[in-house]
Amino acid sequence: MKARKVKGLDPEGTLADNAERIVRVRLDELQSFIPRALDPDEVTALHDMRIAAKRLRYVLEVTAEPCFGPYAETALKRTKELQDLLGEIHDCDVQLPRIMGRMEELRAADARTARMRAPAKADDLDPKYATRTSSARAWRGLETMAIYLKARRGLLFERFLELWTRLERDGFRARLTFAASERVGGDGAVTPPSQDGNATRDGAAIASPAQSR
Amino acid sequence: MAKARDIDGLRASMPFAEAAAATVAVRAEELFEHSAGVLDTSDIERVHDMRVASRRLRAVLEIYAPCFPKAQFTPLLREVKDLADALGERRDPDVLLDRLATLEAVLPKANTPGIEAFAAPIREEQERGNATLAAALEHAERTNLAGRLALLAASAVELEEDDVPEAAPEPAEPAAAPSGPNGASAA
Repeated sequence: MKARKVKGLDPEGTLADNAERIVRVRLDELQSFIPRALDPDEVTALHDMRIAAKRLRYVLEVTAEPCFGPYAETALKRTKELQDLLGEIHDCDVQLPRIMGRMEELRAADARTARMRAPAKADDLDPKYATRTSSARAWRGLETMAIYLKARRGLLFERFLELWTRLERDGFRARLTFAASERVGGDGAVTPPSQDGNATRDGAAIASPAQSR
Repeated sequence: MAKARDIDGLRASMPFAEAAAATVAVRAEELFEHSAGVLDTSDIERVHDMRVASRRLRAVLEIYAPCFPKAQFTPLLREVKDLADALGERRDPDVLLDRLATLEAVLPKANTPGIEAFAAPIREEQERGNATLAAALEHAERTNLAGRLALLAASAVELEEDDVPEAAPEPAEPAAAPSGPNGASAA
């Protein structure tokens, strides 16, 4: 999934103002997969949401502590939780078809073996030729893994729904947006945000070391 | 997983380009600090740590993209992505094999042939991934990727200093951003 462009980044502007712009876009990006990703069959939306969470996490990893209000660090932890959970779901989505594919390969090989066991001119296939094929024992383990992954995927998806519900209930988006508009001053003190919530245009919300003393 | 190193001196009010120089320099160093022993498949955490470091570096390169000269930045980002992909080619089968080993340990023995049937082609993938990674590391070493990344990091502040005329608080034209006009975007 291609990242959304962040407009108005300015190398000469402050780190915090630029980072705030990036956080806002990455938050919107994350939110854009809702409600699609709340459907367990929307594998692509879930995968893309994981990528969006990863992008948000990395920008917060660099900027939450030096730039933003206290909630940004909490948001970083929540975003990592979300990314990890979606990552585990993605792993199940990738592995399950591979296991099914491997089973199909082994089944096809055993069917060929069964066919070869039968006399060349047989009118029909005696079922006994389909027993004790070389991969028969392997199927059981593959079936177990397939069942395990399917069940695990279901459970992880339930956890994802719970986590997302919790994030919404706790006002994750609004609180992170607010925290990203707060500024850490030179002495570590946090100042309130500017009126427009994004100080990028005029730098009004930046707490200079002098201001925060 | 290795914790990301703190970036000394990072402050909310510092110029974005200065933060870019400091952050990219540290994340690039971290990448190569984790390169020792990554081709050893008996310790899969090494490749994991280097892969995480490559992701962090890639992420900060993308975040700070407007601070770097485009001609220098674009091919380097590509190279970092290629290295990250090569690390992923080794890491993905590592993870899967590790999980299969965990499953095998807890499931009844009757499941072992099935797990082995699934693991065999993944071991081959791991070998291919290791060969790809070896080539990528060799390329990075031969082309001095570490040195070029250090130069790129430094270029963010060099350009910033060069582009802002002294004693010119309000230039007639806006100072050009290293990667294009101000207001251009990439993150």
